Amino acid sequence: MKKHLLILSLLCVFPVWALAADTDFGKAITQARLKVPEDAGVRSFLGIRQKSGQMSLADIDAEIIIVEIFSMYCPYCQKHAPMTNALHQAIEAGSDTRGKVKLIGIGVGNSPFEVKFFQKKYGILFPLFDDANSAVLNSLTGIRTPYYFGIRRNGTTLQTFFSRQGAFDDPQAFLKTVLEKSGQP
Amino acid sequence: MKTIRLYALMGALIFLTTASLPLWAASDTFREEIYHMGTLKPVDSVPKLKVGDHAPGFTLMSTSGSPVSLKDYAGKKNVVISFVPAAWTQVCSDQWPGYNIAQEEFESLDATLIGITVDNVPTLYAWTRAMGTLWFPVLSDFWPHGKVAEAYGVLRSNGTSERAIFIIDKKGVIRFIDVHDINRRPPLEDILNALEKLNR
Repeated sequence: MKKHLLILSLLCVFPVWALAADTDFGKAITQARLKVPEDAGVRSFLGIRQKSGQMSLADIDAEIIIVEIFSMYCPYCQKHAPMTNALHQAIEAGSDTRGKVKLIGIGVGNSPFEVKFFQKKYGILFPLFDDANSAVLNSLTGIRTPYYFGIRRNGTTLQTFFSRQGAFDDPQAFLKTVLEKSGQP
Repeated sequence: MKTIRLYALMGALIFLTTASLPLWAASDTFREEIYHMGTLKPVDSVPKLKVGDHAPGFTLMSTSGSPVSLKDYAGKKNVVISFVPAAWTQVCSDQWPGYNIAQEEFESLDATLIGITVDNVPTLYAWTRAMGTLWFPVLSDFWPHGKVAEAYGVLRSNGTSERAIFIIDKKGVIRFIDVHDINRRPPLEDILNALEKLNR
């Protein structure tokens, strides 16, 4: 009986623990389903062949994907918007990163309108995705925004090799860290 | 057999525990300061007002230390009143910062915004300071406790207010009401669309 209670107690604790664990956030983000961008230019930038429907991060043509989890309603994300643009520009300016590393943002719990509003307000240069049905928010419940993931291809699957909660001050240093952690500096 | 029953029971408990977890992602702005309320009854009040009714007047103290009255805007601006349940809670803390970047949109639609909670002024002062600088007044409906929320039919049984939006035109007539699921944030576009409709 004691053995059963011990096992069941552990099982009861597990879901809450799992929700809070970075590793599980990292796994969840690789399974995110996103709406294919309407803009042909954005699809071309990401290398997405589909023109509509749902896509996954694996559909993005890049060796490394940096995902910013943000919200239009998050003051830090608003304040930090120029820094994320600078990160995108740093990626595009580097001959070793352009085309290989791509930055995207997912507005968790944000509607398409809210994401477009944020994009226009802050002149965001990289692709942003909405989360109208809160599916991504659901998989990352408890996360604090902004939050960053570094994801690389591992054969046919994706692997999260980096995560960070909170804004960064130096886009170049942040990119360097991500590249170092990816094992592809 | 007993073991199977025991595991089935505990499995059901685990399912119920996880299924009832609220969806939230707090801004890192507030770090560990946010109090998590869990999932609440979506609406816990009885409506008292409907579209077309005259909006109950009020004068409440703002976080700037000055009183603000609804009548201050009569004949000048459409007024969006945003009731939120409580300071330092997860959904509320990620609502007004979004409205805070939409000042131009509100103003282009000839509207202003007023935020109201049942918290006291010092609490609201500290909470809204953490959001940055808000362009709209935030009012305290603390004492007599929830009097304005009660007049608008959005005072919940535990003394907090609903998460509700009221749009009042320049004549003081209510033109839009959304008593939202307290666990969810009303989308910004719902407010802007209602204001656009009002301006047609």
